[in-house]
Amino acid sequence: MTADIFLFWLLASVTLLSGVGVVLVSNPIYSALCLAMTMVGVSAIFATLGAYFIAGVQMIVYAGAVMVLFVMVLMLFDLKTEIATFSRGRISGAIKIAIVGLLAGLIAGTFAMTTTIAGKPETKEKAGHAAKSLGELLFTKYVFGFEALGVLLLIIAIGVVGLARSKGGTHAKH
Amino acid sequence: MGESAFEIAINCVKLVLVFLLMVQMVPVLVWLERRGSGFIQNRFGPNRVGPLGLMQLLADAVKFLTKEEFVPKAATKLLFYAAPVFALLPGTLAFSAIPMASPLKWGEHTFLIQGYEIGVGIVFILAISSLAAYTILMAGWGSGNKFSLMGALRASAQTISYELALGLSLVGVIMMYGTFNLTEMIHAQEGAMQFQAFGFTISSSLLPNWGIFYQPLAAVLFFAATFAESNRLPFDLAEGEAELVAGFHTEYGGFKMLLFFIGEYGHMMVASGLMATFFFGGYNIPWTTTEQVYQWALGIVGSPDWASALSSAVHFAMFFAKLAAFLWIFIWVRWTLPRFRYDQLMDLGWKTMLPWALANTIITAVVVFAVSQTW
Amino acid sequence: MQSIDIFGQIGLNHYLILSALLFVTGMAGVLLRRNIIVLLMSIELMLNAVNISFIAFGKYMNQLDGQILVFFVMTIAAAEAAVGLAIAVNIFKRYKEVNIRFFEHLKG
Repeated sequence: MTADIFLFWLLASVTLLSGVGVVLVSNPIYSALCLAMTMVGVSAIFATLGAYFIAGVQMIVYAGAVMVLFVMVLMLFDLKTEIATFSRGRISGAIKIAIVGLLAGLIAGTFAMTTTIAGKPETKEKAGHAAKSLGELLFTKYVFGFEALGVLLLIIAIGVVGLARSKGGTHAKH
Repeated sequence: MGESAFEIAINCVKLVLVFLLMVQMVPVLVWLERRGSGFIQNRFGPNRVGPLGLMQLLADAVKFLTKEEFVPKAATKLLFYAAPVFALLPGTLAFSAIPMASPLKWGEHTFLIQGYEIGVGIVFILAISSLAAYTILMAGWGSGNKFSLMGALRASAQTISYELALGLSLVGVIMMYGTFNLTEMIHAQEGAMQFQAFGFTISSSLLPNWGIFYQPLAAVLFFAATFAESNRLPFDLAEGEAELVAGFHTEYGGFKMLLFFIGEYGHMMVASGLMATFFFGGYNIPWTTTEQVYQWALGIVGSPDWASALSSAVHFAMFFAKLAAFLWIFIWVRWTLPRFRYDQLMDLGWKTMLPWALANTIITAVVVFAVSQTW
Repeated sequence: MQSIDIFGQIGLNHYLILSALLFVTGMAGVLLRRNIIVLLMSIELMLNAVNISFIAFGKYMNQLDGQILVFFVMTIAAAEAAVGLAIAVNIFKRYKEVNIRFFEHLKG
C-alpha cells in the first residue's frame, strides 16, 4: 500500500464519517462542526487530486467563511438541544431512507460496473502553472459565466443587506 | 513529503522543530511584552526573578501548570476542552509554510529550512488561518457563559470581516510577483532595486529590492488587517475587559489559557513572518543576493557543504531579526493605541480598508500590464 | 467482470462513489431533518459532493474545465448560504422557531 492509497482511504473515511455526522447528530452546532470537518476533508481530497488552488479556495470560502456564518447563526439562536430532530412518521421516514439507500446503491453500482473512463493521468504540473492556466480559462472561455456570477453576487449582496436591515440591527436609524 | 524514508523522516523532524521553535518563542515574547510595556509606560515590569526578570517565565509556567483544573457547570465539555487545542493549529501550520533560510545543500541532499514547501503557499496560509474563527466560536459557545458568547461572536465577525481586506491586499502582491510560492517571492526581492519597465531595466543601488517599495499600500493594509486577525489591540474587541470581562476566554484558566496565549502569539509570528516575506525580502540580507552570501561563505570555510550551512545560518539570523522587529511593532502598538469602538472597527474594515484594497488591486493590475509593454 | 484490486489501486470510480455517497448523505439530511439551518447545511453537503466528482473527472480526463465549474458552484453555494441564512435569521427573530414544519402553510 503506497502513501497515495492510504491517504485516499483515510480522507474518504474522515469525509464520509463527518458527512454522516452532519445528518445524524441531533445538536445543530455539532452538525455544523461536522460539516466544517467535511469541508476540510473535501479540500484535502482536492489536494490529492492535484487541484491545489481549488483546495485552498475551498478551505477559504467554505470552511473559513460559509461554515463560520452557519456556526455563528446557530450560536446566536442558542439551540442547545432540539426537541424534534427528525421528521415525523415512521413509515414515511422508512420510505425516505429506503429511497436514499436505493439511490446510493444505484449510483455506486453504476460506477462500479463501468470500467474506468480514462487511463491513469500522468501529468505532474507545477501548482503555480495550473493556477495560471485556470485563470486564463476563466477569463476567456468562461468569461460570460464569470461576469454573470459577478452580477448574481451583487444582487445577492443587495438582497441580503435589505433582508438584514428590515428590522433593528446595529445600524438601525429609528 | 519526500521520496525516500530518509527524506520523510527529516521532514517529520522539521515539522516538530518548527512547532517547538514557535512554542519556545512564546515565553520570550511574554517577557518582552511585559518588560516592553513597563518601558513604554515608564515603570519597571517584572525584574525580581533572575537577571532582568528572565526567570519570571519559569515561575509563570509553573504557576500556569499548577492551577486548578475546572469546567464551568453550564459548559459543553467537549467543545470547552477542544477549543484550546485547536487554537494551536492555525498558527503552527501556517508558520511551517514560511521559508526561514536559504536551502541547505549537504552532499546530494537539499534541506529546505521550512516546515514544508507548498506550491500555492499564500493560498494555503490564508486557508489555514481562516480556520482560526472556529477556535474562538467553540471556546465562546462551549463555555456556556453569555460574556464568552458575545466576545466570541464579536471576535469571529471581526476575523471574517478583516480576512477580506487581508486577502485582497495580497492580490496585488501576487500579481506583481506572478507566483503564489513564497520562496519564489523571496528570490524576486534579492539584491538592490531593479525592475523592468517598458522594456528598459531600471535599477538603483540606493534601495533594496523589497516589495514594500512596489506595494506600499498593500503593506499597510496587510499589517493593519493582521492586527485584527490576531485579535490584538487596537482591535481586541473580543476581550474588551470593561464590557465583556475577557471575551471568549473568560472561563479559561491555567494551562488552557496558556494554549490560547500560544495561539495568539502564533498568529503574531505568522503575521510578522509574512510581512518579512512579502514586503521586506524574507530571509535575504538587504542589498545582497542569496548567491553572494553563499560565495562569501565559500570564501570563509572552503568546503561547499559547510558554506551552504553557514549561509543558511546567516539567512536564518536575518529572518529572525526581521521577525523580531515586527513582533516588537506588534507589542509597541498594543501599548500605544487605545481600543476602537465596535462600529468604528466594522466601518474601518468594510468602508475603508476593503475599498482601498480593491483600488490597490485594480491599480496594480493596470500598472503591471502597462509596464510589461515595450515602449 | 474481471477482478479488480479495490483497495490497492485508486481510480476514478473510487472518487465517484465517494461523491455519490456524500451526495445521498446530504439528500437524506434534506429529507429527514427538520431544522431549517441543518437543511441548508445538507444542501451544502450535496454541492460539495458534486464538486468532488467535478475535480475527479477533471483530473482523470486531464482538463481544467472541471475546476472552473467548481469555482462557479462554490460562488453560487456561498451566495445561496448567505440568502438562506438571512431568511432563517429573519424568521427566527419573528417567530422564535426553526422547525421546517412550522412554515408549511405560507399564510400571513
